[in-house]
Amino acid sequence: MPPGTLPMLILRVLQSGALHGYGIGQRIHVLSSEVLAVEEGLLYPTLQRMLVKGWVTAEWGTSETGRKVRFYRLTPDGRQQLKQEVSGYDRVTQAIQEILRTA
Amino acid sequence: MRELFRRINYLLHRRRYDAALDADMEFHREMAARAGRDNFGNVLRLREQSRDVWGWTWLDRGLQDTRYAFRQFRKHPGFVIASLITLALGIGATTTIFSILDSLLLRPLPYPNSTRIVQVWNTFAPRGMMEIPASEPEFLEYRQSQNFAHFAGFSTGAINLTGSGDPLRTAASWGTSEFFQVMGTEPFLGRTFTEEEFQPGHSQVAILSFRLWQIRFGSNRDIIGKSILLNGHSCTVVGIMPHNFAFPGNDIDVWQPLPVSPTSANLGNHYLSLIGELKPKASLQQARSEMMTNLDHLERKYPNYYGSATGIGVSLIPLRQQMVGNLRPTVLVLMIGVGFLLLIACTNVASLLLARAEDRRQEIATRAALGATSIRILYQVLIENVLLFLGGGGLGLVFAFVCLKVVSAGDYLDVAQMGGATLDLRVLGFAVITSLATGILFGLLPALKASRSNVSEVLKIGGRDAMGSRHRTRVRSLLVISEIAFSLVLLIGAGLMISSFRNLLNVNLGFDSDNVITMRLSLPRARYSLGQMADFYRQFQSRVRNLPGVQDAAIANQLPMSDVTANSSFDVEDRPANSDINVADIWLISPDYFHVMAISLLRGRLFTNEDVNLPPASVIVNQTFARKVWPGTNPIGKRIRLRSNAPWLSVIGIVADIKNHGPNAATSPEMYFLYTDQPFGDWESGVDLASMTLLVRTAMQPQQIVNAIRDRLKGMDPELPLFKIATLDQIVSSSTSRTRFPALSLSLFAFIALFLSAVGVYGVLAYTVAQSKHDIGIRMALGAQQGQVLRLFLSQGVRWAAIGGCVGLIAAAVLVRFMRTILFEVSAYDPKVFVAVGLGLSIVVLCACFIPALRAAKVDPLIALKSE
Repeated sequence: MPPGTLPMLILRVLQSGALHGYGIGQRIHVLSSEVLAVEEGLLYPTLQRMLVKGWVTAEWGTSETGRKVRFYRLTPDGRQQLKQEVSGYDRVTQAIQEILRTA
Repeated sequence: MRELFRRINYLLHRRRYDAALDADMEFHREMAARAGRDNFGNVLRLREQSRDVWGWTWLDRGLQDTRYAFRQFRKHPGFVIASLITLALGIGATTTIFSILDSLLLRPLPYPNSTRIVQVWNTFAPRGMMEIPASEPEFLEYRQSQNFAHFAGFSTGAINLTGSGDPLRTAASWGTSEFFQVMGTEPFLGRTFTEEEFQPGHSQVAILSFRLWQIRFGSNRDIIGKSILLNGHSCTVVGIMPHNFAFPGNDIDVWQPLPVSPTSANLGNHYLSLIGELKPKASLQQARSEMMTNLDHLERKYPNYYGSATGIGVSLIPLRQQMVGNLRPTVLVLMIGVGFLLLIACTNVASLLLARAEDRRQEIATRAALGATSIRILYQVLIENVLLFLGGGGLGLVFAFVCLKVVSAGDYLDVAQMGGATLDLRVLGFAVITSLATGILFGLLPALKASRSNVSEVLKIGGRDAMGSRHRTRVRSLLVISEIAFSLVLLIGAGLMISSFRNLLNVNLGFDSDNVITMRLSLPRARYSLGQMADFYRQFQSRVRNLPGVQDAAIANQLPMSDVTANSSFDVEDRPANSDINVADIWLISPDYFHVMAISLLRGRLFTNEDVNLPPASVIVNQTFARKVWPGTNPIGKRIRLRSNAPWLSVIGIVADIKNHGPNAATSPEMYFLYTDQPFGDWESGVDLASMTLLVRTAMQPQQIVNAIRDRLKGMDPELPLFKIATLDQIVSSSTSRTRFPALSLSLFAFIALFLSAVGVYGVLAYTVAQSKHDIGIRMALGAQQGQVLRLFLSQGVRWAAIGGCVGLIAAAVLVRFMRTILFEVSAYDPKVFVAVGLGLSIVVLCACFIPALRAAKVDPLIALKSE
């Protein structure tokens, strides 16, 4: 996974609803057709950072297995951040593609 | 901003957050395990990383380091105690002086708008008089100034309070209608005076001080409206001032209205001190030029009075400057002096810390090998050092508290009038900031040294680092040299102050202050006529003289070096009137006065008891007077008079000069008159029989004789209080207190500094010797004699003393210039002081070096070389 893109992916994945940590990792893995695998060592620190920045909140809920676990939910600030990150990423990707095509 | 809240929220509920995180990761691991992937990774590390994100690791680390630091301190109590005491001395002394500085120069005065309050004085430069009180017409004219929001005049004096307990003699102040408005303070109980009460005849009211209310009237709120007897007149109490109001003086207990008639033309009586509050936009300059215009106006309005005098001016002095102006240089010198002491103390501790860093090389190297970054180590050692300084600061506060109590009790430097020097919040804050600042400044270098040690070198067996130790010694040498330099400066400052003080003490006062007790009494005019007063004093004197143990007694209207001075202008026979040049201090005395004071007669004769019964015809003058008025001729028989309608008085004798305004002030001309019931001039120059001082020459204990005198006085009139009881010695010594305090303090600082420097020198040389044992062993094995080794290390000490001494001398030469204003008959560059201090310091340094050098010389080469 390109460095620095994990926060953006997490935000995107959470857009359609709250998920717990494991669920976020699974979602990303599945939606990317198993190309991207999230390392736990990266996931949790990143989630903490997003909590600090206020892009997500964590609330207690029950998992599908009946366990009490925290679900992470997108905040309005987070939605804002997602828009910014996506547009940034698009710009950069387009620029790179231009170079690859024409250079 | 919200992010900060979130972070703080985490800090407060840390356990919950951490537990939640753990639960998340636990759950994740379970699910992953169920899906068959078992590679969750290092949980501990993950936890740490996640927690780091919240940004409070530095706090955690800090607390950890603090706990570690305390463990270290417990293991090395000697080092800790030495550092704490050194720092306590340095920071404590600095805090004490800062408290004094703060209360005198920095803390805002307790009056609102105090920065805009100024006192207004007339000046007469040709005679060097810079603070002349105003007369009523002058007050009325100045009051019209457009630059002042409020303007008032006031006078002070003493009154008798009777009728509710023992008769009490206390200080009082009379102010015009805007007095309390200028000061911006109102009574907290009751009210200020009404317009009506400023009319003559309606002013039998009084406002009391908090202290008087508390002590005399038991803080009873019913006091408002009650009557008290002031100087025999019944006055109604209308208000009580708040407890920190102490204007115009700390001892004022009663304020009364001062009625001034708007048409007053009383030009001769200058008794009003003027004070005003400038308008916010007005500058001192503007106000002053306006006052000069007013003065012009007055001079034209009363040409007869002001006629010949040119050179009259006006001076406006801001209140703070008025109250402490002449103390500023002293306090600043003390602050700089104590600053040096602080520097020396901190340098000493820094040196100790460097040595500690040395000793811990192994421990630190081990930690580095286990993965601690050098920043981490630096952080930890720095925290240790700063904690040490904070601890020293805390101890120093205790020390400062004690010192401040001593200073306040001894009434040095008039700190009481400014509210007292105490450990208030500002001073505490200063102490904390100083501790932190010095801790970081002086703790950083040792911490840096500690964190940068070369790991592989140190962990080698033996761990000896020959090159490194020489470098480290160089740094400590530098520290020692700077200590010596600072000490030198401090010692020179102290030496100069001591010289000054000694010169002050050696001044010949012109009178014998031993064994003389003085006390003041005053007769209320309501009950005594002038004739009765003279009689009373005559009787009282002879009764006192008959007391056992009394050698002699006399009466006078003032004392030398006291705050009561009376002066008056006079006319000289056969010369044109010149009331601005012909001014002298005026004394009313009994015939034995000169005998009691042991003032010598130079020419002519003294008053005798026969003169008492004759109409006033004679005056005795002092030498300064004679020289000024009749230079080069015999003044005996020449005549002067005090007013144009007063009788002429002949000079019958000349007495020696006394230092009547203090040992370091010039003698002013004085004229002595015999007290009598016959007026020989107007009395308004502050001279009247109502209030006189009794002087008693006796070898007895003051307490005994005062009691006996009080009894006699009660026998004559039970309602008269005796007040201002002091021995002449006490009065003389309090006049030198302004120099005594800095002399004592600087000497104390210098002594402590010298001691600390000696310890520092000893420490560093001892350390060097210990480090060089191997080298010494080799030298001796190769044939060096004991004497040579001794000389080698002593020469190190000499080098330090020489370099430190030179730097110190240069610094002293530069800084000493600031002391010029407070020195007395001592040049700031007095060679005796410089040389004496230089020699003394060198000797001390050499002595401190002697023991380590001796130990070096006694090294047994076999043992030294073996312990490798």
